[in-house]
Amino acid sequence: MPTGAATAPRPFAPPRARLRAWPLVPLLLVALLPALPWVNNYILAVTVRALIFIALGQAWNIVAGIGGLLSLGHGVFLGLGCYVTGILFNDLGVPPWLGVPAGMLVAVVVALAMGGMTLRVRGVFFALATVAVSLACDQLARHYVDLTGGDNGLALTFLGTSLWAMQSRSPAPFVYAGLAFVVAFYWITRGILASRFGLEMRAVRDDEVAAAASGVRVFRTKLLGFMISAAMTALAGGLYMQYYQAIDPESAFGLGQAIQLQLPALIGGLGTAAGPILGGALMTVLSETTNWGASSFGLVGVDILVYGLVLLLVVLWAPAGIVGMLRRR
Amino acid sequence: MTAPALEVRGIAKRFGGLVALRDVSFSVRQGEVMGLIGPNGAGKSTLFEIVSGNLAPSGGQVLYFGEDCTSLPVHRRRRAGLCRTFQKVRLFDSMTVRENIAVATRQSLPPGGDWHAEVESVLERLRLGRQADRLPAQITLADRKKVEIGRAIAGHCRVLLLDESLSGLTHDEAEELISEIVALNRASGITVVVVEHVLSVLAKMVQRLVVLHNATVIADGTPADVAHDPQVIQAYLGTQRSAFDARVVPDARQA
Repeated sequence: MPTGAATAPRPFAPPRARLRAWPLVPLLLVALLPALPWVNNYILAVTVRALIFIALGQAWNIVAGIGGLLSLGHGVFLGLGCYVTGILFNDLGVPPWLGVPAGMLVAVVVALAMGGMTLRVRGVFFALATVAVSLACDQLARHYVDLTGGDNGLALTFLGTSLWAMQSRSPAPFVYAGLAFVVAFYWITRGILASRFGLEMRAVRDDEVAAAASGVRVFRTKLLGFMISAAMTALAGGLYMQYYQAIDPESAFGLGQAIQLQLPALIGGLGTAAGPILGGALMTVLSETTNWGASSFGLVGVDILVYGLVLLLVVLWAPAGIVGMLRRR
Repeated sequence: MTAPALEVRGIAKRFGGLVALRDVSFSVRQGEVMGLIGPNGAGKSTLFEIVSGNLAPSGGQVLYFGEDCTSLPVHRRRRAGLCRTFQKVRLFDSMTVRENIAVATRQSLPPGGDWHAEVESVLERLRLGRQADRLPAQITLADRKKVEIGRAIAGHCRVLLLDESLSGLTHDEAEELISEIVALNRASGITVVVVEHVLSVLAKMVQRLVVLHNATVIADGTPADVAHDPQVIQAYLGTQRSAFDARVVPDARQA
């Protein structure tokens, strides 16, 4: 018999989950960026874009990576976060401090409705439903011009640098905000992976029938995972809105955005805490350098080509993403 | 008298025009090891899915310790201690052996129970300690079957339903698994229902046999009695020759 709780092994600390010091290096580097003399606003802007890209990927990773639910319409929650925040601010003067939580709430309610209808049936219906809701949101956003600005989208009223309105002329504050999001989402992901809920999500991802036979409430687990992911996406959407200061139907609900949301996790490693961070960082560096190189030859949009190429390589040679490649060695 | 651990009453199941089960009734006493056999297509799997909750019957009732659980969802049956394995092993492939067992432990352990300790004790009882940190793909079929049994009994288990757990195993592996199952039954008082389509392996472990044929129960009794039942012989071989010779049912001739 084990001699007591103190000696009982901790089953859920996988060997690689030990805390290491090296992730602090990029963290500090990004945190110090705005203070470095040779760093210009372009580099800061790219950093913020990368951080937002990563945060959105981390949110999608919860439902798709850990839970195995292929949501092709997570742009819905990004869009809801942006539009709700923006409409409340422009029309009612509500600051994003309240607008973003309101957007999260709306996203959770929509996720509850979508999931409630589609998560009882397996697989493809859920994926199709997420696409259908994206298309519906796109139409709604284009139709209610007074509220959403229609095809042109919605631009926030700019008040200058203001903490109350979460606005800033310089991208520097957004570096810190983005960094805080990414770090927080990383810990949330790790927390979920180590929890009973995470164990249930993974069991459901691997085999729903066996999960139910092991006592897991399959439907509730999927629904909860979907709602958490929706809330995180809408929260990151709030950051997106405050940084870009505008949203339009295509950027929120378009197919391009839906695919973008999936790239960090797919490339970095589905269902891992570090995956979306590595994937998002790599993709940003790749697309910025190729765009910069290509634009000197007068070419535009080469980044899309790079996305496609990298995705293809990952699917063919590294289905477990960057994290999978690192672990295999 | 205490209620039977498991009782099926007048279970019927139709798939469109096909009658899969017709008025099937039997009960399993607490602490018993019972075998459910029948030729292919007899309705064993259908019955198994109805008892474990994956299929709703067209008629009849399933009683678990005297309480009607016919419409109880699968996960609630498992939490109440009605546990199962699968004909084709279904483990969580991306999770280690230990995690596989932990999933079920954390769902069904009574409040206040130490789930870490329970997982370790299940691993120890089934001698899976060395495989604990491996993935299902890295262990043998026999071990995978053991993990599935471990996952089924972890936490809280009163009735264990085994779906052809012995198929695909070598003779020695089957022997070992049988002794594990018998030991579980003796040590923990877990009631066991074993579904097989071959009788030979069952005779060594079961106290009672129920034979399904053409969607209904054709025999119910000790292995020796069942082996001499003319209907059973007919069903299995289509001839009057004894279905189960002395090699497979040692006590058939002595009886």
